[in-house]
Amino acid sequence: MVLLGLTAITLLSLDLSGFGPIGTAQRWVRDLLHPVTQVAGAIASPFSNAWNAVFDYDDLEAERDQLRKELDDAEGAQLAAEAEREAFQRLLEATEITYLPTIPTETADVVRTAVGNFDDHVITIEKGSNHGIRPGMAVVTGAGLVGRVDRVDATTANVQLLSDSELVIGVRLVSTGEVGLGHTDAEDPLTFVIDRGLDWPEDDDQSLLPEIGTVVVTAASSRYPAEIPLGRIKDVYLDPENDIAMIVEVELANDVRDLSYATVLLAEGVDQVPLVPTPSTSIPLNIEVPEDTGSDQ
Amino acid sequence: MRLGLVMLAALLVQLTVFVDVRFFGVAPELLSLVAVIGAFLIGSERGPVLAFIAGLIWDVYLPTPLGVMAITLAIVAYAVATLNEGLFQDSPSQLMMVVFLASGGAVLGYALLGGIMGSPELLRIDMFRIALIVGITNAVVTPLAVPAMTWALGGEGAMR
Repeated sequence: MVLLGLTAITLLSLDLSGFGPIGTAQRWVRDLLHPVTQVAGAIASPFSNAWNAVFDYDDLEAERDQLRKELDDAEGAQLAAEAEREAFQRLLEATEITYLPTIPTETADVVRTAVGNFDDHVITIEKGSNHGIRPGMAVVTGAGLVGRVDRVDATTANVQLLSDSELVIGVRLVSTGEVGLGHTDAEDPLTFVIDRGLDWPEDDDQSLLPEIGTVVVTAASSRYPAEIPLGRIKDVYLDPENDIAMIVEVELANDVRDLSYATVLLAEGVDQVPLVPTPSTSIPLNIEVPEDTGSDQ
Repeated sequence: MRLGLVMLAALLVQLTVFVDVRFFGVAPELLSLVAVIGAFLIGSERGPVLAFIAGLIWDVYLPTPLGVMAITLAIVAYAVATLNEGLFQDSPSQLMMVVFLASGGAVLGYALLGGIMGSPELLRIDMFRIALIVGITNAVVTPLAVPAMTWALGGEGAMR
């Protein structure tokens, strides 16, 4: 028993310190078992499907997935269009700014949701490092951001979902251009709360508040590519614990609790939480362009 | 060899069937079940080793650092084997009760140790509900798992 304890402590210490071979060994085991898991999953799927439904589950599931994809695409296109219009106006004012660069993507099916009882906010997708996916990359659907790539194996990857309230994201309010940090409400996975970096207007001027219903996107200062839609503002109020700070609640465009596919943006993320909100650099804020000289941005 | 096959089967069922099939949102913990029954059947000397290996296999797929589930199951298995040697007559109903308590205890132990090891989100009030459901479902599955574990252990510690 003592020997087992020492072995466990050694393994824990090595894993926590990021000792490479430990992670490599775990990846190797998962990759080795992945084909076996796939076969077992195919064998078990009738039982799982029967458990989840009473009739015609497969047809309904396929139809539902197709409809959800189309709906997500439509919602995402609408949100993106609004964000683009706002951004485009600013880009017209500041020349030589790259906006929404073309980012290669990989779309993958969700092979399984959480395997344990404590990892509710993790899904596994069927593509991994063999497809160029790396930890920290943003994961989206047609409706916007759904999470970030966490653990990557050769042929699969784990995605930490937006519903995890520990996942902090730098965002920009399209209507005002302000940037802040937020996370999903632990009690309500469909609500994103921006509670850091936003100031309540001086003199309590309500006209300076962000408009309800306007779009929120990722900020350039976040760990993800800029301008990925998150959702729409549904409430704005004064922080009850800090009377100069503003809290913005956002209704997320995606319901990440029941995803059937996801798309990874193949752009390396900054694999750390942004500690301090900083102004967006891709879309200049409140820029004033002198008519004769143009922008120096 | 047989034990490896049973552990692999438990892992595969866990990763496939019990991703979808959940009871009030909670899945049975088959590797815990293997560890507890194994310890019950073969005693405190080798039981914890079996449980440690089972936990290590499960650790590979869990978000916590490698070794958290392994040491949790080893401790639980040691307790099960020690209590069984001193207090119990091994009967199926007693084993189901032991599985209920030990599986629930393993869930709580995993959450506590995982919380200490940098995953504070595991320490939530919900863990008691999860422990209760895992205990019940594992106990229900026990009559199916005992023959498999008896076969895996070559008849060692076979129950009357």
